[in-house]
Amino acid sequence: MHIRSKKLRNLIRIITPFVLIPLVAILGTVIFDAKKHIFISLFVAVLSLLVFAAGFERKSTGSRRLVISAVMIALSVAGRMIPVFKPVTAMTIISAVYLGPEAGFLVGSMSALLSNFFFGQGPWTPFQMLGWGLIGFIAGLLSKQLKKSRILLLIYGLVSGITYSFVMDIWTVLWHQGGFTLDLYIASIVTALPHTILYAVSNCVFLWLLAPAFGRKLDRIKIKYGV
Amino acid sequence: MHSVDSYNPIVITVYFFAVIFVSMFCMNPILLIISLLCAVIYSVIRIKDSYKKHLYCLLLFIIVSIINPLVSHNGKTVLFVLNDSPITLEALAYGVTMAMAIIGVIYWFSLFTNIMTSDKLLYLLGSLSPKLSLIISMGIRYVNLFAQQMKKIKESQTALGLYKGENVVDRVKGNIRVFSILITWALENGITTADSMAARGYGIGKRSHFTVFTFKKKDGIMIGLVTLLLGVTIISVVLGGSSYTFYPAITIASPGIIGSCGYAAYFILSMMLIIIEVEESLKWKYLQSKI
Repeated sequence: MHIRSKKLRNLIRIITPFVLIPLVAILGTVIFDAKKHIFISLFVAVLSLLVFAAGFERKSTGSRRLVISAVMIALSVAGRMIPVFKPVTAMTIISAVYLGPEAGFLVGSMSALLSNFFFGQGPWTPFQMLGWGLIGFIAGLLSKQLKKSRILLLIYGLVSGITYSFVMDIWTVLWHQGGFTLDLYIASIVTALPHTILYAVSNCVFLWLLAPAFGRKLDRIKIKYGV
Repeated sequence: MHSVDSYNPIVITVYFFAVIFVSMFCMNPILLIISLLCAVIYSVIRIKDSYKKHLYCLLLFIIVSIINPLVSHNGKTVLFVLNDSPITLEALAYGVTMAMAIIGVIYWFSLFTNIMTSDKLLYLLGSLSPKLSLIISMGIRYVNLFAQQMKKIKESQTALGLYKGENVVDRVKGNIRVFSILITWALENGITTADSMAARGYGIGKRSHFTVFTFKKKDGIMIGLVTLLLGVTIISVVLGGSSYTFYPAITIASPGIIGSCGYAAYFILSMMLIIIEVEESLKWKYLQSKI
């Protein structure tokens, strides 16, 4: 049982998005109640992570970049241990901006997975992994603009914080109700509003505080060792 | 060491996938009762001193059951009227079923986390993507390493006399300085690690990883059994042997042969780990008394 062969990995990368995910979506609506979006989307989230994991191996990422990614993951996991403060999003964005979209996705999703070893795994783990991973990936794609203007970076932190909370609220409603109702969604957004604001603002504060320092340090490492 | 731990991680994952799959996708009350009961019994056997978690789950169970009748007013049996909106028996039953599904899955997941220790998870991930599993194991190691290093930096800073202790601003500034030093050190240390890896030939050949897990005969038997039982349960559910409705009135079809087969199969499936544990401990007792 080793999926080390290149053929099988490539097979996963082709079959999963083009056969498995559509199959799950169609079967999910036909066989089970159409109401059960949550389980279908949970499965799809896991599958898309699988595709990414299989694709990651193909690229010959240098071992230095790999270790630096592991360092960033560990730092953001350690940061999540501090009560109230949750610098995971800020750390993900910073690593994405300085190390690229791939590293951003990796840092975001792996921070979610690793920190949930300490906070408890559950059906929400794939969603957190996907959410933080995508925040990192998009930040990596926008890295040129985000590096240039600090205000843009703060706006990205604010927007991604709010979007992340809203998306996780969709998940809360789906999980709770098995189907989507707008009333419950609005209710959960309203109850989570203070939390969302705190989260988005703390993202900005962390980016404001950490981005220049981290940027200098990462740039220094890049120049000194040529990562 | 529990006897369940002697099985291959792949088997454990397949088993939990099967059990959780059914209790997530089927809103059948009887299947959900079976799933929840078995999960609670097994977690009482396996995870000791967790009364706090049971209490928390009980509270969550009550909250989830109550919310549905407050939001949804479908159903024809009105229990009482609250603020001009009827509270119905059907909506309450649906809420309780929903709560059973959610709490059951939470229990199964906590059992899964308890059984699948990080080395087993790494074994599984390592067969999918060696690089990813390397990053995860490095990350886990670094969390501890950084905590230790942070302590060292703090002690040396205190020894240099940089902390007054009483001043809040001073303390915050000191903590920021310690964190900054830690980051620089962590990045440099990472580069050293990477160079050391490269010097030892990382990335040249195929990666192998250390495992203590082998695929034994009993693992094969277990996978076969799990697949068979899951298949019987799914076929029974799809064929409608266990149909049910909540609205407008609660009806649960009396299970025919197909339905009973499905329930029995899922019962055995959920009880599997408990049976393995109990059998092993009985065997242990029996052998002990002989000597």
